[in-house]
Amino acid sequence: MKKMHILAILAIIAGISIIVIGSKDVSTYSSFAEALKTDQSVKITGTLDKDKELIYNPEVNPNLFSFYMKDGDDVSRKVLLSRPKPQDFERAESIVVTGKMKGEEFVASEILMKCPSKYKDEEIRIRAEI
Amino acid sequence: MENNVQYIGETLWPGQLGHFFIILSFLSIAFTAVAAYRQSKLLVHDDTSWRTLSRIGFALHGISVFSIIGILFYIMLGKHYEYGYAFDHVSDDLPWRYIFSAFWEGQEGSFLLWMFWHVILGAVIIKTAKQWESPVLLFLALIQTVIASMLLGIHIEIGDFVYKVGSNPTLLLRDVFDAPIFNKADYVFALKGNGLNPLLQNYWMTIHPPTLFLGFASVTIPFSYAAAGFFTRQYTEWLKPALKWSLFSGGILGIGILMGGAWAYEALTFGGYWAWDPVENMSLVPWIIMVAGIHTNLIARSTGRAVKSTFVYYGLSFVLILYSTYLTRSGILGDSSVHSFTEMGLEPQLIFMVASAGLLVTFLYFRHSRQIATPVKEEAIVSREFWMFVGSLILFFSALIITMSTSLPVLNAVINIFNPDFVGTVIKDPIPHYNKFQIWIAILITLSTGKTIYLRYKDNEISARRKKSLAIKFVIFVAITALLTYLTSLWIDYFHWKYTLLAYTCFFTVVANFALIIQDLKANSAMVGSVLSHAGFGIMILGSIASGLNEKTITSNPFAMRDLMPEEGLADAVKILEKKPFFVNDYWITWENDTTESFTKYFKLKFEKENPSGVKEEPFYVYPNLLYSNDLTKVAAFNPDTKHYLDKDIFVHIAGLPAAQLDVNNAKEIEDSLVYKRYNVGIGDTIDLKGTYAIVENINFDPQREEFLDTQSDIGMGANLSFHSKDDRYHINDEVVIGLKKNMLYQYPVVVNDLRLKVKMDESSFDNYFTQENLLKYKDYKLKSGESFEFNNRTYILEGFNSDIKNINYSREPDDLALKGLISYQEDGDRKLLEPIYVIRDNRPFSIKDYEAKGGTHIRLAQIDPTNEVFVLQLAQDIRTNQKITLDIAENVPRTDIIVLEATIFPGINLFWLGSIMMMLGFFVSLGRRYKSKYG
Repeated sequence: MKKMHILAILAIIAGISIIVIGSKDVSTYSSFAEALKTDQSVKITGTLDKDKELIYNPEVNPNLFSFYMKDGDDVSRKVLLSRPKPQDFERAESIVVTGKMKGEEFVASEILMKCPSKYKDEEIRIRAEI
Repeated sequence: MENNVQYIGETLWPGQLGHFFIILSFLSIAFTAVAAYRQSKLLVHDDTSWRTLSRIGFALHGISVFSIIGILFYIMLGKHYEYGYAFDHVSDDLPWRYIFSAFWEGQEGSFLLWMFWHVILGAVIIKTAKQWESPVLLFLALIQTVIASMLLGIHIEIGDFVYKVGSNPTLLLRDVFDAPIFNKADYVFALKGNGLNPLLQNYWMTIHPPTLFLGFASVTIPFSYAAAGFFTRQYTEWLKPALKWSLFSGGILGIGILMGGAWAYEALTFGGYWAWDPVENMSLVPWIIMVAGIHTNLIARSTGRAVKSTFVYYGLSFVLILYSTYLTRSGILGDSSVHSFTEMGLEPQLIFMVASAGLLVTFLYFRHSRQIATPVKEEAIVSREFWMFVGSLILFFSALIITMSTSLPVLNAVINIFNPDFVGTVIKDPIPHYNKFQIWIAILITLSTGKTIYLRYKDNEISARRKKSLAIKFVIFVAITALLTYLTSLWIDYFHWKYTLLAYTCFFTVVANFALIIQDLKANSAMVGSVLSHAGFGIMILGSIASGLNEKTITSNPFAMRDLMPEEGLADAVKILEKKPFFVNDYWITWENDTTESFTKYFKLKFEKENPSGVKEEPFYVYPNLLYSNDLTKVAAFNPDTKHYLDKDIFVHIAGLPAAQLDVNNAKEIEDSLVYKRYNVGIGDTIDLKGTYAIVENINFDPQREEFLDTQSDIGMGANLSFHSKDDRYHINDEVVIGLKKNMLYQYPVVVNDLRLKVKMDESSFDNYFTQENLLKYKDYKLKSGESFEFNNRTYILEGFNSDIKNINYSREPDDLALKGLISYQEDGDRKLLEPIYVIRDNRPFSIKDYEAKGGTHIRLAQIDPTNEVFVLQLAQDIRTNQKITLDIAENVPRTDIIVLEATIFPGINLFWLGSIMMMLGFFVSLGRRYKSKYG
């Protein structure tokens, strides 16, 4: 057998095992309802529930930020983040949190926000200037 | 709608000219491609008429691109907000130095930057490529045509669908948006630019994009050579010139990527230089493939093997650049990236671009690959080319894994087309996911780079003598490596055997590579470039193990959240109060003060390390800062500051502020929620509050509060108050002030953070001391110069007159006759002077009074009788029967002197930068050698 063939076979084996191993790191976006059923860490995407309070009081605890988030099923739950409030959080169009439920609250270890695209912002601004 | 309105104030010619040049740039580069194609097809090379035409086309294209860029700069520098590009990216207050950043902040600007570099590189090709000029230009022009189409701004309607081809940056705002404001003919004057995102107002934004885009553009050239070689059936001749370009490309693109990392680390608060973000990944991947291509290109130059692989790598690197453009600009990455991008609605065009490039590479490959002869005999396992080829495969795998993971959103979108119910998947924890695979890639790369450099091209077997000497060498290397790994483990933790192994292999390649040139620099001078790159890679990875794995948060407080949070050590920030030293993890942190310069507020923080015996050592200052938005109403961004040591960095940034400090709207809301209670008090009175009390120490008329002094008010009054805790353990003095400026009263409240108090002086206090002019009763005094008189138990002397008048209430007009009186009196043994002014303007006399606040005396120079030299002075006294002041005091006021701070130690991060720089330097050393030597 040629060496190149051996290399090719090795590469294929490596490729398959990478896909098998890597696919375990992947999950679908979850919901609060599903998070309640598992003690695994899940990722939930949703929006900020603007009707409910958003608390960050560095005087009391600089590492505690809490807010309410609506998930894809429109269920709103309190989310705790053990970090200072991210900059411009209120403007986030959508939020992705990673973490687990603890009692009635979702404890997030990771948070990602998507801010509105600039163009929409401008539209609002132009309209506001009439 | 626009048809009915005749607009005024618009400058229309830049848009018209811009549109013309955009069309011209597209047509001229397409023509260049055609002409270069015709020239390349010609077998007789002394007919150069098509070549001349292609050059003319390219020159026209270059002029067009420069003109479009010039027009955009004209629009932006002139603040012509009627143009969308100016409206979006600049504002009146944007400093000049950020004009370049503003230019390439927009997608169109960055396409233009890319095109600009293609024009420059194309000019270099025309000047230097000789017989390769036309075929290389053909591919460069083809690629440039596709990019130029991104600016066309044409809408094609097919049935109900409207396809957008390109986005024209020189369009008027009113052609892009439909808003009622455009009903006004003079709308231009109402527009204000949006300005540059404060996060991008940074010198990195000035240097990183042009470097990265030069890197992107340069990837086109090795591929163009490869394609030109296949197209003209010169299947091996292209390898030599392509190698120089790929070394250049590898160096520049690498520097561009690293600058991105340096930016993230130095100026942003991401807390690191690499986060496996999709945008970072997709600029890294083409570079990795380019490096793989450089290695197979070397093999091909030396042995004639791996020609096809080189073609594939260069082609793939190029396609991946376009793919990365698609991923980052189409918005498909959505939630998975922290970089946010504006969507231009060009997704189909971007997909077309990637697909056509992919097809071009595939077509050329399959059409020509059979023509390429491969040596019949296989390479030996001890030959350098075999292991270099294996190395290129490892790199390919690295790129493949990163691309697959990063492309997950694309996979989701594709599945969604066929199955609309499909719920997309996402990588749960990206950083460990990428690290898990890349750690093995790094181990394999460092192992093979350490070893392969000692092998020779076309070796079938190693002679017994060389075998023995190599064996001895490697035993020594392994021993040194083991020693270094052990010694460094005393400094940093490796935590896991995988990282110990990785550190070991990194040291191995560093030792083996350096040993090669230490042993015999002269004989191995050709290898200096690759030694630098390979050892640099090892050092870089060591640096990332040291800094990434051993990163330590100074400000972490593992006990704070234990009952609440499942994972310990998550609480990485601490709150720091102004002027109150705070101790955490061996460090004393003191916020000494803060200063504001234009839009930036700098916090001066002192760090001192306390050693076990309680002595404070190595004090240093850092100045993390925050940037206000362009209208100064809110905080737009936080910028870190870093203290650099040789062996570590200490990285400090502000992670949060109280809400009132972040946004004036919050501050207003909080102010409105405060409950003020009113107190009427005089000097010496004590005000009883919950848990605290305050005493009015004095009332004065020359307040010393800085904020008051800065405003240069006409008059002011202050009350010095002392504030005490009930147990008298704490007290502090402060002055509450009220000031008058141009008939407006301004309050300067006191905030006592430690007692949670806020005190304002009510305006009525002012009326108790300062009587309004119409309520004053003036008394007349007729006298000559030198005479004295009594008023209100005080003796005044009219000392004389003077026409040298400096008074903020008087501004001289040309025909004025003005005189000021000098009236003196004694107070506490000092001679004080009052200077009322008498003016005759247009034959009408009027007087400007002087006022002395402490005694409440008003004085006017009312009349002058020049013949008898008699003067009339008028004096009046403030009515101060009520000597009380009215204070409004709120309790339980939120503190304003808080910053939330995060400080992190990155040990050995300089190894990362040193290794990176060495690695990039290696490319240019190799390139330089290829220019000098005839080896080429």
